[in-house]
Amino acid sequence: MRSASFQIHLASKLATALLAVAGSVVLLLALTRFIPGDPATVILGSRATPEAVAALNARIGLDKPLIEQAFAFFGRLFSGDLGEDVFNGRPVLSLVLGALPNTAALAISAMLTAIVLGVPLALVSARWPGGKIDRLVAFLSVGFISTPSFVVSVFLLMVFSVTLRWFPVLGAGESGDLGDQLWHLVLPTAALAAGWVGYIARLLRSSLLEVLSESHIRTLRAYGVSEAKILMKYALKPAVLPTVAVLGMGFGELLGGAVFAEVIFNRPGLGSLIYDAIRTRNYPVVQGGVFVIVLLYVLTNLIADLSQSLIDPRERARLVSGRGAVT
Amino acid sequence: MTFNPTRRQVLLGGASIATVVALGGIHPAFAAEDRSKITVRVEKDLSNLDPANRSGPIDLNVLWSVQQGLISFKPGSTEWELDAAEELEQVSDTEIRFKLRAGLAFTDGYGELTAEDVKFSFERFIKPDSEGKPVTYAKDWSALDHVEVTGPLEGRIILKNPAPALYTIALADGSGRILSKKAFEALGEKAIATKLIGSGPYTLKEWTPREQFVLEINPDYKGPIKPHFLKIVGKPIGEQKTSEIAFQSGEIDFTAIDPENGKALAALPDASVTEIPAIDYVWFGPNIEKAPFDDIRVRQALRYAVDIDAILQGAYSGLYPRANALLAPSLLGYWKDAPVYARDLEKAQALLAEAGHADGFKTKLTIEANARYEAIAQIIQANLAEVGIEVEIEALESAAYWALGENDASKDLELSLIKYNGKFDPGFQTQWFTSAQVGQWNWQRWKNADFDALHEKGGITVDPAEREKIYIEAQKLLDESAAFIWITHNFNAFASRKWLKPGVLPNGNNWLYTAFTEATA
Repeated sequence: MRSASFQIHLASKLATALLAVAGSVVLLLALTRFIPGDPATVILGSRATPEAVAALNARIGLDKPLIEQAFAFFGRLFSGDLGEDVFNGRPVLSLVLGALPNTAALAISAMLTAIVLGVPLALVSARWPGGKIDRLVAFLSVGFISTPSFVVSVFLLMVFSVTLRWFPVLGAGESGDLGDQLWHLVLPTAALAAGWVGYIARLLRSSLLEVLSESHIRTLRAYGVSEAKILMKYALKPAVLPTVAVLGMGFGELLGGAVFAEVIFNRPGLGSLIYDAIRTRNYPVVQGGVFVIVLLYVLTNLIADLSQSLIDPRERARLVSGRGAVT
Repeated sequence: MTFNPTRRQVLLGGASIATVVALGGIHPAFAAEDRSKITVRVEKDLSNLDPANRSGPIDLNVLWSVQQGLISFKPGSTEWELDAAEELEQVSDTEIRFKLRAGLAFTDGYGELTAEDVKFSFERFIKPDSEGKPVTYAKDWSALDHVEVTGPLEGRIILKNPAPALYTIALADGSGRILSKKAFEALGEKAIATKLIGSGPYTLKEWTPREQFVLEINPDYKGPIKPHFLKIVGKPIGEQKTSEIAFQSGEIDFTAIDPENGKALAALPDASVTEIPAIDYVWFGPNIEKAPFDDIRVRQALRYAVDIDAILQGAYSGLYPRANALLAPSLLGYWKDAPVYARDLEKAQALLAEAGHADGFKTKLTIEANARYEAIAQIIQANLAEVGIEVEIEALESAAYWALGENDASKDLELSLIKYNGKFDPGFQTQWFTSAQVGQWNWQRWKNADFDALHEKGGITVDPAEREKIYIEAQKLLDESAAFIWITHNFNAFASRKWLKPGVLPNGNNWLYTAFTEATA
């Protein structure tokens, strides 16, 4: 794996990732200037006289040309400065770093829960396709996928917070108190993971069935290898490849797209930080938050890509030998 | 938040969840009520705690509890009472003398509150800031000429012109909070946006952005206001539904609610619901510079064609009172004999025919996107369709909608549905309808020199009876224009624990945390 071909492959992926990050930041800077509304009108409300708006925009640097603002953003980036909250001058980096662990914890726990539940369901379904269990899993999976997450969230809150009072509604838990933080994580994780459980179960089941119909599996059966062993040892590994790719994308999506869970459960995460900042046109916070999400999204996809290359023996062989196109 | 658990913590955390869930345990958030502390829901996080650059009622409510003014609002009232001032006297129309209480001290060791601090705090509003820009709330003190310090605890506020609204708009409000000059100079303008130094009944003990703020009793406070709770925790919760669920689960003790959910929440065993008519103003109207709305007969036809009572039933569940003029019943200048326009399709059609629009016309109604305004817009759309006016609804996201107040963007509007928040002085409300506001917040673009003159006169007239007449006259002119079709002054509802009496001011948006007390049976 340490051949020149692999290094080229890695360099190419990194370059694409960097371009994606830079491109999205430039696009974001342009977009935020074209949408109507600015922080001055939000801050000043009905007191926003043209003079007051102009004065406030000058104070927070929004009166400068777009290109100057873009250069300033990238210039600051190299020194780890993402700008300041326009309303109170707090460093955006500290806001983003404060929110990121809450979002990351939720995304990781939701994805782990989805894997832990989804993979066994897929295995059971693929083991007895068309059977009662397969039909039940299909029914549940489609149910989980098609029920909007906010409906699941409100249902969970009404049952487990209001009626049973087992889990809290608000926030991410006391800082430094791991038990409390885990406690606050349970309901949003369940709400966010539900759809993914169904999705992984359906996706992996299809891949497993495809692999199980291949001739080498038939050969294994002819040799008398047990179905459980075939499933776990010979079918799961190749079947899991498409799921890994989807999980990579999905994890990135969860980092940026957990907004609904953060809003409903009032978790101070990255999604809700950006959501609030967009509503108040707090551009530096939007830019800083989106930049970090894009960075993480690209990074998780890169990791998923590379993992696929490592798991898939065909891809691995091609990279080692230096033959064939890099995809 | 830090998140670097040890293996032991992970095991402990997992085990504790499993154990408590298995035993049907109760999370500490649901533990038995501690009546020395309350948790309240605020709609958004604190933003800027500099009184001159604050960004709304959430900031202001905290400022009121931590910083003193010469005067402050009485609990539940638009009247004021002495606060840091021991004496306050209106010597003439343009001079107010004050004498401070002795021994009032700022937190964090910034010393005694003196007349120099008062001068510094008020004159900040009429001087440019460190970057040469006016402060955000400069307009509140536009009548101020200067503050003269006549002794360590005494001074005179000298005005450029009589300003009767000064008491409610500035002195008792956020713009009348007294900063420590020493703290400002030591910390700098930027730092005071997040670091709150005051001499009031509470101190801001903690502000964890987007999680909570904590107010605690100031042990060194020597003023006249007696706060009840030792600790007040504010939780920013943007979603109304989440806050209602959190209230039902017992995690918060006080929240604003949708009045429509009042009955359901009041039925909870430990809850009570407080309802307060608001002083806002919701209306819709045309841009009168645009044809066919430049014809008063078309505007009058609109007023007869729309069923306001149906809007109140359909979009407000019949809970909100109808508005017939600009000023709400609790304000000086309330016009109790304002005409109530009942729906009359025949009159509307006759007026349209007279104006040459017997077959109706097409127009656009611009609203801020939310479920209630969309419901109002749909009723207006259906009502106007009955007289041949075809309405297209344009729902804009909040910031985009309010951007119509910039750069003369309102000139392209046709019909618009608007809600402005009210303040306790009528002059605050009338200012948006003056000719000078066309291109900014006068979206009907209605200009009337008599109205402008009345607004000016109301601003400098000291006699309340005379002021009342002036503002009623001003509202008559608004009515004659037929450019403003009033819907409601809004209605506030709050859910709180039965044992808690909330300290809400009559506009509903502003709360005095110092006035939150235990309810007496």
